Amino acid sequence: MSEFDVIVVGAGPAGASAAIRLASNKVNVLLVDRADPPGSKNVSGGVLWGDSLSQVIPDWEKSNMLERYVEAKGVTFLTKDSKISIDFRSKKFGEYKSGYTVLRTKFDAWLAKKAKDAGAMVVSGVTVDKLAMKDGKVIGVEQSGETITSDSVILAEGANSRVAYDSGIKKKPEDQKIALGVKEVIKLPEKTITERFGLTSPKMGFASEYVLGFLDGGVKAGGFLYTNRESISIGAVISMGDLRKNNQTYSFNVIEQFKDHPFIAPLIQDGRVEEYSAHLVPEGGMSVDSVYGNGYMIAGDTAGLTFSNGLVLQGMNYAVVSGILAADSFMERKSKGGDMNFENYQKNLENTFVLRDMNNFRGLDQVTWSESIHSTIPAIAEDAMLNIFSENGNPKKHLSQIVISSALKQKDKRKDLAVDLYRMLRRM
Amino acid sequence: MIKMALEIIVMIKQVPDSSEVVIDPVTFTLNRGAARNVINPADENAVEQALKIKDANNDTHITVITMGPPFAESALLDCMAKGVDRGILVTDRAFAGADTYPTGLTLAATITKIGKFDIIFAGEESTDSSTGHVGPGVAEFLGIEQASYTSNSWVEDGKVFAERQLEDGVETVKMEPPCLITVLTNSNIPRNATLRMKIDAMKRGIETWTLADINLKPEWVGLKGSPTIVKSMKSIQEKKRAGKKFTPDQMDEFVDELISKGILKFGGD
Repeated sequence: MSEFDVIVVGAGPAGASAAIRLASNKVNVLLVDRADPPGSKNVSGGVLWGDSLSQVIPDWEKSNMLERYVEAKGVTFLTKDSKISIDFRSKKFGEYKSGYTVLRTKFDAWLAKKAKDAGAMVVSGVTVDKLAMKDGKVIGVEQSGETITSDSVILAEGANSRVAYDSGIKKKPEDQKIALGVKEVIKLPEKTITERFGLTSPKMGFASEYVLGFLDGGVKAGGFLYTNRESISIGAVISMGDLRKNNQTYSFNVIEQFKDHPFIAPLIQDGRVEEYSAHLVPEGGMSVDSVYGNGYMIAGDTAGLTFSNGLVLQGMNYAVVSGILAADSFMERKSKGGDMNFENYQKNLENTFVLRDMNNFRGLDQVTWSESIHSTIPAIAEDAMLNIFSENGNPKKHLSQIVISSALKQKDKRKDLAVDLYRMLRRM
Repeated sequence: MIKMALEIIVMIKQVPDSSEVVIDPVTFTLNRGAARNVINPADENAVEQALKIKDANNDTHITVITMGPPFAESALLDCMAKGVDRGILVTDRAFAGADTYPTGLTLAATITKIGKFDIIFAGEESTDSSTGHVGPGVAEFLGIEQASYTSNSWVEDGKVFAERQLEDGVETVKMEPPCLITVLTNSNIPRNATLRMKIDAMKRGIETWTLADINLKPEWVGLKGSPTIVKSMKSIQEKKRAGKKFTPDQMDEFVDELISKGILKFGGD
């Protein structure tokens, strides 16, 4: 007889959602997090997209843990001197769900509290060492040489999956499967933020992804900037390959260059840095051979369930859904008195957008980290825009001519560009 | 050597983590709301000191008590996870606004209600008010001996020994139980709890007492029972300083600037 039905390792969106779902259904669940209060070491850029959380917390949108609702979504290319962006704003972001910006330390502690209120035992400030195995089956977790037993374990420990590595169920990721995210939270008055970003109310927010095509040494990094109620989350996601290749690349330099950009600096002007954090970001989809095994399931970042196509960066929504499905898969098995080998979890994931997105967009990371996206296209666009929007006394050309002539200036990159464009069209 | 069953009580307080307390840039008051709550550091050392005595004296029972809001439960559970046997939270709206006098009285009444005890431990002072009143106050209310500023203590042949860190040396005192000992911050290294111990602590849970449990009148506790009246408070306005940046190749200008402002002076001949 196990001490718990389920042990959930990690109190992030995946783990907490799983624990809430299980505890609400009278399952005896232990949620363990290494940070105290739970979740206080968790980091993400900060937009929770979609409405997945309503499956476990029906009135979640009423929570005061949410910062701003994204009514303005940007995609921006930055070159050294220019900014080229789509700034999409829509009143239709009422019927079409966008997302809420969140500050994770606060938000995740709230999620863990919800799990506790639902009846889960929440233990924080202690790091699980590894999965406890017996006869090829996971029978609980090990910590300081002691075993805590459970019928099954849901592993939701995040991108830096120490338990999974040490238990031999996940290989340490290759460089192209992981990026380094660095982030600052910059304090500014609520009113200043609403005005600076032209938002319609203090409850509404702006979120943009950036291609940073101007960094020293041609380092490839993406940026993000999200508005919270009284702060701005700004950060960069840097290719691990670039970081390793070039030992002159420091994450803090990248974020400083981003903040100093002539069209970013005014947005954060007079703000005070309140928080600095760094985190690994899984890239390129599933990062484990299997999301389940005998006695365990893997959810959220640990399984590499994140999505990024340069236009959006998403992870928390995948985490929430995978956590809930893991909980449901356990209950399905338990009710049938069956074994704890969770191929049903895999099937359940396949039936949702989670694994469909992972499969449909496999290989997209090759595009998002390509030379074309990071330097060739921004350079062409900058050149073309300067021609279109300036007056130099010469007769005007057709738009197509301008673009083609701008593209031709990037001669040596033409072949790569063609390949990347083909990949882009196929995968987006 | 006489081995005896020891009853130890540790008094703790939950405080905002001093490394996270920030000064509000507008009002210049301490913004405690932003900081997480932790066990007062000296109290952690007091708990550890009690546990060390328990390590050396098998038949020891430790109770940890705190007066505070309901969320102080987590502080008690943390102590229990480390090996404390019992946790009591004394909580009541009537206690709100207490200064050190009714706080000491409330804790003394709680201890009286618990009954028999040999040693009471407390941290020397709390990081959020730094008065150091409460420990000695409780000893006075209970009319027992006390040793303050201690860095170590032990029990030998039914007597309690404590080392007091004084300005001019270390004083070792011997006391008859029951007695009270206040423990200095950083006087030992608090142990960590394992997952097993944390789970067991949660399963055992804490006890919650209110004013009605400790036989005190409402006018003796909280704000009403507090003789301290804060007449006024002034925040210190930060002086505006002009900043100027110099790059490494502008060192000449930098030095010139310092000299012209009279900050740097050439001495000697």
